[in-house]
Amino acid sequence: MSELAAVLPGVLEKAGWSVPGGLVPVLAMFICASIVAAAMGLSAAVLVWAERKLAGHFQCRLGPVYVGGKFGWLQSIADGIKLLLKEDIIPADADRPLFRLAPYLVVLGVFLAFIAFPVSEKLMVADLNIGIFFILAVLTLEVFGVILAGWASNNKWALLGAMRAAAQMVSYEIPMGLAILPVVVEAQSLSLKSIVAAQSGGMLRWYVFQPPFFMGVSFLIFFLAGLASLKRAPFDLPEAESELTAGFHTEYSGMRFSFFFMAEYAGMILVSGLAAALYLGGWHGILPGQSGAMWFLLKTAFLVFVMIWLRWTLPRLRIDQVVYVGWKVLTPFVLACVLGQALMAYK
Amino acid sequence: MVAVEKDVRTDELVINMGPQHPSTHGVLRVVLKTDGEMCLDAQPDIGYLHRCAEKIAENLPYGQFVPYTDRMDYVSGMGCNMGYCMAVEQVAGIQVPERGEWLRVIVTELNRIASHLLAFGTYGLDTGAITPFLYGFRERELVLDLLEMLCGARLTYSYIRIGGVDGDVPPEFMDKLKEFLDIFPKKIREYNKLLTYNHIFMKRTVGVGVLPADVAIAYGVTGPCLRGSGVRQDVRRDEPYSVYPKLEFDVPVGTDEHGPIGDAWNRYYIRIRELEESAKILRQCVKMISPGPVLAEKVGRVKPPAGAEAYTRSENARGELGFYIVSDGTMTPARVKVRAPSFSNISVLPAIVRGQMLADVVAIIGSLDIVLGEIDR
Amino acid sequence: MTAVRTYFSDVFMGLWTALVGMSITLRYLFSKPVTEMYPDVKPRTPTRYRGIHVFEEEKCIGCYVCAKACPVDCIEIGVVRKGKEIKITKFDIDYQKCMFCDLCCEPCPAHCIHMGPEFEKASFTRKGTILQFATPKTLTEEEKKVEKVARK
Repeated sequence: MSELAAVLPGVLEKAGWSVPGGLVPVLAMFICASIVAAAMGLSAAVLVWAERKLAGHFQCRLGPVYVGGKFGWLQSIADGIKLLLKEDIIPADADRPLFRLAPYLVVLGVFLAFIAFPVSEKLMVADLNIGIFFILAVLTLEVFGVILAGWASNNKWALLGAMRAAAQMVSYEIPMGLAILPVVVEAQSLSLKSIVAAQSGGMLRWYVFQPPFFMGVSFLIFFLAGLASLKRAPFDLPEAESELTAGFHTEYSGMRFSFFFMAEYAGMILVSGLAAALYLGGWHGILPGQSGAMWFLLKTAFLVFVMIWLRWTLPRLRIDQVVYVGWKVLTPFVLACVLGQALMAYK
Repeated sequence: MVAVEKDVRTDELVINMGPQHPSTHGVLRVVLKTDGEMCLDAQPDIGYLHRCAEKIAENLPYGQFVPYTDRMDYVSGMGCNMGYCMAVEQVAGIQVPERGEWLRVIVTELNRIASHLLAFGTYGLDTGAITPFLYGFRERELVLDLLEMLCGARLTYSYIRIGGVDGDVPPEFMDKLKEFLDIFPKKIREYNKLLTYNHIFMKRTVGVGVLPADVAIAYGVTGPCLRGSGVRQDVRRDEPYSVYPKLEFDVPVGTDEHGPIGDAWNRYYIRIRELEESAKILRQCVKMISPGPVLAEKVGRVKPPAGAEAYTRSENARGELGFYIVSDGTMTPARVKVRAPSFSNISVLPAIVRGQMLADVVAIIGSLDIVLGEIDR
Repeated sequence: MTAVRTYFSDVFMGLWTALVGMSITLRYLFSKPVTEMYPDVKPRTPTRYRGIHVFEEEKCIGCYVCAKACPVDCIEIGVVRKGKEIKITKFDIDYQKCMFCDLCCEPCPAHCIHMGPEFEKASFTRKGTILQFATPKTLTEEEKKVEKVARK
């Protein structure tokens, strides 16, 4: 964003517009926000299509085939239009202001997190010096939206879903945050840019392959905790279809429903991207010297594929088991990893 | 100081689960009393699919009721056809030709496979795994294709008629059947890898909804649910009918290998093992079947003597299916009573659900494998 | 000690069986789908398929046996008999009621009604689901008097 703010006055001058100097950063912010929002919406749409297509083929089906030619690649656009045109139903007994607010809060959390999303060295809205910390903090916003949605719907299933979401989020924020610590200890920075920069020089320099694999284990834990915080299978209890019909978004329809949907898919990209940046070398390629946004996107896409793959393979855990896994499996393991890494750094 | 009586209990939440709910397997309604995620009580409420089948039977000639039996347990219609036809044959004293009996066994066992595959798939759905459902359906489709080739329908067969079956097999049927039997064991192994022994699935089902043998017997639970509780009861073996005495097969019962006997996992696993047993029976049938007539001659209009009555038991996919027929000497029966296995099986739900978690309720209902068409009739 | 062992074996088995399951689903990701492209490619129904009836009017002798055999009374037949000449004025099957049980085809002495391979007969109106198999005929006054319409 700072680069954009630097070039923006020149561009504006060429176009013949005069903008007061104080407004330039604001304009730059606005442009960045629009780009992030558009990218988020678009990637979510692509991802919904990809998930349906992959799910189809995992299950010996075809998935969408009609809309937009052979592979049905316009399916999610068509679905988006359908959702836009649908009636926005608010239940009579719902808490109207909260009911309306909830989807925006959910999207907001993911949207904000994209600010520090390190696509490549240049393609980053803001290189915050506490980037990773910031992302974890704003991601937590999402759970407020989920709980509000469940509460405001005035529906018992939705309430149960929200309760589950709360329990699950609390349990998994901790291993997720702790899983980052070994990386931070190794890179000695909270800035995503310097974390990625520290992993340059080929595949073997990626943190996930660093012996004695403290960071490898914490990568796994980060990924699992990320799945849980995204409410993805096998941790999709807040919206467990076979138990709670649709969980916290049972009462939502139309565009508001699609906001939850979009947040989930954008969140998948976010968590995968974070994992790629933290453990898989971000924009660095397999061989030394290779780098570029392409590598980052490839790694992210692979991790997203694994998420989809997991979802279409595994059964769902029960809520007590989810909490058990969070507190009694992931947390001790990640604590051991942090300790090990810290001892390594102490020397 | 005044002692303050602290009332820190939480309120119970009454949840209406169904009749429109993704995992009540049709239109079952369960009134749940929950405390948070714990389920304190569950009362099944049935009757949303009631179609007066028994009353219809009293107003139709014997032969015309056969298509209605398809619609009772619509997942294994052949078994219902067979149960009813056996009862009518007993009441009217009709002898079924040998080949007819063999074909009956073949189609009921095929239908049992189709039914258990559906149970396997939907149980995966209930526990949150969506893909096994599609895999189960993929193989079920092969079975349904076979049955369609045989009788022209995929679900409501009415292939078994009073006095035998409706037509001999088409020439290519037996080869297709053998082909299916060859690939089937491989698929069962795949199901086991994908779902049965998946650790998450086992954690979800082992030790959940334990149904002790005495409770199961007290409630009249039959079929895989009863066998899951460790009771070796199978009408095909205990009171053999048709050509079952000539066939060799095991009756799988629940074990305590992975958890208590009679839990949801055992009930589920009995069905997987019965898939193997049914395939075994089918292999023997293919070898032992001999040519001959398939339908008794001159069945025509069934008119049993007045006062004749019969109760026949048969082992359907869900348990013991009983038909009780009383004749008054006319073209129509005076009374037909159906003892539907799902009806007894669902009645045990409140007894085993108490104290389980909400997600377990779904897992338990799924493990009982009910068909609402049969419960309500 | 056993508690510790169960704990670690649980963790290991959880991951391992997930990987086993994932290997199975991955294999099917690259296999050929088993589904049919239904509205584009019509499925081939077997010869014994029990779909919409096929009625051969010229063979029909107007005996009502099929209507009598029907458990749901969905067949309605109108016949005009003049000496040896038989005119089928009406042969309606109500597909809202029909349950495709094949019981009507078996007793037919003339073998004029069969189950056909067709199965797509959805309609937007209730009337549209009643199919008229007999060719429409104009009847004389005299014929109208002797026409017998019966369901059972």
